[in-house]
Amino acid sequence: MSTAPPAPPAPLEVQEPDLEEVVTTDRPWLVIVWNDPVNLMSYVVFVFQKLFGYSREKATRLMLQVHRDGKAIVSDGNREKAEADVARLHAHGLWATMEHPS
Amino acid sequence: MARRFARKRGGRVDATFERGELELLEGLPQQLRALYDGDETDPARARLFPRAYLDPTEEQAEAEWRELVHPGLLEARFDALTRLEATLATAEPTRRDRVVVHLSPEDANAWLNVLNDARLALGSRLGVTDDTDLASFDPSDPNAATIAAYAWLTYLEGELVDTLLGELPD
Repeated sequence: MSTAPPAPPAPLEVQEPDLEEVVTTDRPWLVIVWNDPVNLMSYVVFVFQKLFGYSREKATRLMLQVHRDGKAIVSDGNREKAEADVARLHAHGLWATMEHPS
Repeated sequence: MARRFARKRGGRVDATFERGELELLEGLPQQLRALYDGDETDPARARLFPRAYLDPTEEQAEAEWRELVHPGLLEARFDALTRLEATLATAEPTRRDRVVVHLSPEDANAWLNVLNDARLALGSRLGVTDDTDLASFDPSDPNAATIAAYAWLTYLEGELVDTLLGELPD
């Protein structure tokens, strides 16, 4: 771990953040992969490893979660990252959506 | 029969087929082009282009996302078909009246994408579910030829995935 960065210079004006809004925008979007009857289990593991760099063990665990529970959260991030991840999953034929937890 | 895909150095893959299989593979691009160019409400095509947002209040974000990414997703699919055709055109005769195709890592990934799209499309047409048992289909079924093609593609894709998984860390 690196040491803490030096404190930034104090702003001239301090705006009180709207706490509720900060919480909403900071909460990551979740990328969900849904079970489907066609995609092979081995193929889903392959795609998770290829797209997200997950270990075989993690990719397999997520695939089994999709298979057993019907869905799994496979990545998260801000809206732009989630949209990009969904597009990459769709490019590989996986049924993926994104949602903001309420 | 022997395995169809063999790993080579540098992520390359040799694909070895019977001539009849080569003809089936050569037929895939035409069918998939028709699907990609076809009616967006066709369930088989819709399966390849799902929504990103399930939340109906995100309709505008969905429309913007679709406009942003769908052209690229479609182009990548057409490119994979072109790559499959280009590699099939290089098929060389080998032992026992079979043919071999030498695939670069990019070729092999394009093949995988084509095989997977073909299975998604056929699976959608056939109404495949988790309970579908390909081993016990009725040969007199009017869809028998499609079911046989689906089963063959499933076997082929499984072999290719197993081969490509060998390139990724355990």
